[in-house]
Amino acid sequence: MKFQSQKVAWGFFATCMLLLSLQLIYGFIMGFAHAGYDGLHQWIPFNTARATHTNLLVMWLLAGFMGAAYWIIPDECDRELAWPRLAWVQLIALVVVGVTAIIGFHLNWWEGRKFLEIPRPLDFLVVVDVLLFVGNIGWTVWKADKKSTTSMVLFFGLLAAALLYLPGMIPTDNQTVDSFWRWWVVHLWVEGVWELIMGAILSYLLIKLTGVDREIIEKWLYVIVGFTFLSGVLGTGHHYYYIGTPRYWLMVGGIFSALEPLAFLGMAIYAFAMAKKGGRTHPNRVALLWTVGCAFMSFVGAGFLGFAHTLPQVNMYTHGTLVTAMHGHMAFWGAYAMLVLAIMAYALPIMTGRKVYEGATAGFAFWTSNIGMTAMTLAFAVAGVSQVVLERRAGMDFLTVQKEIEIHFWGLILAACLFTLGICAFIYDFIRYGLPTAPLRSGEARSVTPPEILPTAAAARGAV
Amino acid sequence: MGGALGTKAEERRGMLSKSAAKAFFLGGTAVTASVFLALTWDTFQQIPGRTNASALTEGVKRGKHLWESNNCMGCHTLFGEGAYYAPELTKVHERRGPAFIRAMLKDPQAMFPGQRQMTNYHFKDEEIEDLVAFFEWVGKVDLNGFPAKPNLGAPAQRAQVAGSTGHAPEVFGQVCTTCHSLQGAGGTVGPALDGVGDRLDAAYLEKWLRDPMSVKPGTTMPKLPLDDAQLGALVTFLSSQKLTKEVAQ
Repeated sequence: MKFQSQKVAWGFFATCMLLLSLQLIYGFIMGFAHAGYDGLHQWIPFNTARATHTNLLVMWLLAGFMGAAYWIIPDECDRELAWPRLAWVQLIALVVVGVTAIIGFHLNWWEGRKFLEIPRPLDFLVVVDVLLFVGNIGWTVWKADKKSTTSMVLFFGLLAAALLYLPGMIPTDNQTVDSFWRWWVVHLWVEGVWELIMGAILSYLLIKLTGVDREIIEKWLYVIVGFTFLSGVLGTGHHYYYIGTPRYWLMVGGIFSALEPLAFLGMAIYAFAMAKKGGRTHPNRVALLWTVGCAFMSFVGAGFLGFAHTLPQVNMYTHGTLVTAMHGHMAFWGAYAMLVLAIMAYALPIMTGRKVYEGATAGFAFWTSNIGMTAMTLAFAVAGVSQVVLERRAGMDFLTVQKEIEIHFWGLILAACLFTLGICAFIYDFIRYGLPTAPLRSGEARSVTPPEILPTAAAARGAV
Repeated sequence: MGGALGTKAEERRGMLSKSAAKAFFLGGTAVTASVFLALTWDTFQQIPGRTNASALTEGVKRGKHLWESNNCMGCHTLFGEGAYYAPELTKVHERRGPAFIRAMLKDPQAMFPGQRQMTNYHFKDEEIEDLVAFFEWVGKVDLNGFPAKPNLGAPAQRAQVAGSTGHAPEVFGQVCTTCHSLQGAGGTVGPALDGVGDRLDAAYLEKWLRDPMSVKPGTTMPKLPLDDAQLGALVTFLSSQKLTKEVAQ
């Protein structure tokens, strides 16, 4: 760790671990309810569990991005954060708003719009909080002598994410307009600017872990985020097929969202190629595993499975069924959850000065959670396809079909147990890393990176 | 965008330069974002027509507010958006009808006993009317053909009941046939009601419909929130279901 203020990232990462644990609990509540056991219905009805599950996800991913930014920006800009204390205030404020929202969901206090359930007064607090964060990061970048591509892409990704929260707050009485703006937030986040953040964090990790020349990695970063925006912006159209918007969106959304997997494929090839080029000599192999794994799983989950039901002819039958849950789970896991876990796996040893990654649990956490999530995705796929065939195509009654597919939710619960085991191992390691007490070093490469891949040697090898 | 990829610098060096990559990113984003904004503008010109915005009454607006403030989307889908725990409601007004929606919202547990539960929000009568108005408006929005009609096997039965029993009260076609069938059309949860007038007299039917549990403890037949007029019409209709008469004819 080069700078004192980077330690604030630990607070955000700890928040991630806490919220992720809670998210899993609410996931199980829903899994059991789908399998026919809704014993908690009176206290935690399905809509509460659902809003809590998805909002916890968004909250811990945002906390993870913020932690990642507070870690990466001082390193990339070669200076302390502009206002380290403000970062702590901003973390506490985020947690307070989040906890208030979650309690509100249990008391039927919400806005009731998918993914944007938090009540309107809290929306304003979120905006203020995120602006404080973006301001802190932005001022640090602004004051820095060197402005690396990675830090700029990260900053603009975070700024755009903050701004794109605003369309979701435009009031309307028309359900179609409501839905239209909601996707400006949700889609342009996860299939737009969040990918800028993802690309920037991945390139930071690849620069650090593979030792490949920064210029090469950052060049490809531009190409990949270029493809992301080229396909992803007009790809928003795949949410505008059937909500009361004009028919041309079927063509626009169909064509451009069919191109979206290319950006993810590019990301996967990029990560694999750089890892190979760098020769995998960094001792923190697990961090590289999470980094490359993130790029690969996001291609499978977001790219491939997203493509599986994005064409209008298919989506006509799969829209609003469990097929969406299949795609959603692996997409969020691969693209964003694994990304946050990757930056944690990289930063924690440097922050704490402990090499927990050498133990067996680190690899166990990676493989078990990934196998678990893959199995969960398969369970959702079987349940979802069955639902589509029985309900949407054969015209059977909704509840009758739900009874038919209950069994697949037991499969889901088993897979989720495996996944949870992997996450528990990750959290166990997080606890073993302990507090960020490592002494400052002028270049963290000295503490964990063997001399053979120090920048100069790696640059020579990385040059094409 | 393609132009950015094929700059002279790239040709000279036999590979893509970083500045060309940056130009590709910025140029591509600018082009797609402009097209997206133009389409957004056009979409907003078309939405009022496609959604019958002139039919957005105060009741519909209040209904939308109720829909959101109770997070109905946390279980149901509307326009295919929401959660996948409870039925898609875009066409519920057409598919089930207002009488069913009213009965369901008054006492959600009554309709499907022992099945997946819905929370009772204790809506007032006027709130239920607002939600019915909201569903009616939603059902008429032009959704480019969504949801598609089932295209495999035999089509769903319920819609035909009203046709085959022309003189049946509204509540029979929308509520009773959820579980019971008549002339082969309807649900299979409860017994078929063909010839029920032969088996049960009007007094028994009325007592039964008012409170099934008092007649037969432990029955899964729900106590439906029916008013006296609906109850009277149902008893008359059910009493008239006689197979013997048909045989005599």
